[in-house]
Amino acid sequence: MMVAPKSHDKEAAILDAQMPRRRLLAWLSGFGLFASALLAVVSDWLFFKPRVTYGPNARFAIGKPEDFPPGTRIAREVERVCIVREGNKIAAISTTCTHLGCIVAIADTGFACPCHGSHYDQDGSVTGGPAPKPLPWFQVTLAPNGDVVIDKNASVDPGTYLTV
Amino acid sequence: MTPTKEPPTPNSGTALTTLRELPQNVWNSIFRNPLPSTDLERSSTSFTNFFLHIHPVKVNKNTLRPAYTMGLGLMATFLFVILVVTGVLLMFYYVPSTTQAYDRMLDLRGTVAFGIFLRNMHRWSAHAMVAIVFLHMCRVFFTGAYKRPREFNWVLGVLLLLVTLFLSFTGYLLPWDQLAFWAITVGTSIAGYAPVIGQQMKFVLLGDTTVGQEALLRFYVLHVAVLPAVLVLLVAIHFWRIRKDGGLSRPAVPTAPAPDSGVVKLKKVYGLQGFVRGPFTKLGNVPDDSVYSWPNLLMAELFVFVLTISAILVISLLFNAPLEQPVNVMHPPNPAKAPWYFLGLQEMVSYSAFWGGIGIPGLMVAMLFLVPYIDRTTHGVGKWFAKERLLANTIFLAVVIVNVIFIAIGTFFRGPNWSLVWPF
Repeated sequence: MMVAPKSHDKEAAILDAQMPRRRLLAWLSGFGLFASALLAVVSDWLFFKPRVTYGPNARFAIGKPEDFPPGTRIAREVERVCIVREGNKIAAISTTCTHLGCIVAIADTGFACPCHGSHYDQDGSVTGGPAPKPLPWFQVTLAPNGDVVIDKNASVDPGTYLTV
Repeated sequence: MTPTKEPPTPNSGTALTTLRELPQNVWNSIFRNPLPSTDLERSSTSFTNFFLHIHPVKVNKNTLRPAYTMGLGLMATFLFVILVVTGVLLMFYYVPSTTQAYDRMLDLRGTVAFGIFLRNMHRWSAHAMVAIVFLHMCRVFFTGAYKRPREFNWVLGVLLLLVTLFLSFTGYLLPWDQLAFWAITVGTSIAGYAPVIGQQMKFVLLGDTTVGQEALLRFYVLHVAVLPAVLVLLVAIHFWRIRKDGGLSRPAVPTAPAPDSGVVKLKKVYGLQGFVRGPFTKLGNVPDDSVYSWPNLLMAELFVFVLTISAILVISLLFNAPLEQPVNVMHPPNPAKAPWYFLGLQEMVSYSAFWGGIGIPGLMVAMLFLVPYIDRTTHGVGKWFAKERLLANTIFLAVVIVNVIFIAIGTFFRGPNWSLVWPF
């Protein structure tokens, strides 16, 4: 029983020695197949990751500063931000719960999430529940025409206000 | 093999005879085998009929014991068939558009003949399939049926459970009502907690940063094309492997011949499978504990089918599938709950998003995949709650009970803001 495989191995070894070209081609084909498969995965990922999204714009104007008198604290539901004005300072706090993406409601103590019971204070810091992070603050700027512009792609440190 | 009649020679009959024999000739050309009356013909049914050739010629008596399998795997298959049929019919009236989907749900209720009934059947079958696939897994575990040589079929089964859950999850969004929207918002956010690629994965799954038109379209394509195709392929391999792994699991039989079996003792007979798996001397050595698939297995399958479809029909007549208010992206319902089989997950998530949503479920799935490669013992196969498997069965039962408790808490004991409530 031991003889047969040995002689077979020997034959194969001789064949290999005689035909390094065949071996090389086999390796190259194998590598080519593997590389193609890898390329397919990468291109699939690129295909499925949209370059353009059709959702609402991340940068939008909300109106003049006068529209938000001092003491204002209103949630803009479509854009999912809360506009806060204290004195002559304006800020925008996200109302998307950092836990699982529900919309937090404005509560007496700050914000409360209806889905899993997360609580935040007036500045968006977590005061209870499973939320892992405070609510982010978005950059607020003044457009040349005097409109207040919020950019949800740009986060700022909590407590950063725009003075108007 | 099959007894064939002398083929009629050309021009042997008049036009009249040809006409008279026409129905019989058409019949014979379709069905190669007559209705079996002998064992040979019973064997032939498995070879000559496309729909029956999935069956072995003979099947072990243990396989047919209702108390052993409870027909759960077959039930899951039949539920999938019902889901495909009702699903395809529903596709004729559904549009995966955020502006139209909900109206189409109302149309199903109001204007489409049998629309509400089809939707009920689809919804309840989907719920039932999740439950039955899970119970089937429990059956396989408690009977030790995942052991060698069936390890890989267990792995395929775990994959099938995951595909079933994903199918159900993608279907959940399609009615585009409040329940759908917020369950998917919560569910995909859980995916976002996966380390490193979580946020990217969520973005690709939704096709956008939030649940919207792109997500609806993606979930629709996954639900009606991609996932069913994957499921069918996996089921095909799952079934094929049942046969190749030696049929359903059963208690080991003593290899010594039964004292008074009355079978003529043969020297050594090689079964056809012997050439593949090495020689085994079965014929004449063991008492024959198998019966012909026709009609025994066929009748058992028919019974399970009738049972399954009757149950779904009755439930669909009695209860309507829920449809809540149309999506309002500004007002989540309070509490916003996932489908019941994900409520255990949601309950765990309310303690810690990462551990509840990714960590512990990931560990449980990994453990499920590895079960047959960790437990390498071979005893206790083919028997419910075998004494030799006390430890394994206890661990598994404990995990099942913990999951059921979490689902029960999430379903009945959670009210507004996910606070504990008393339901009674």
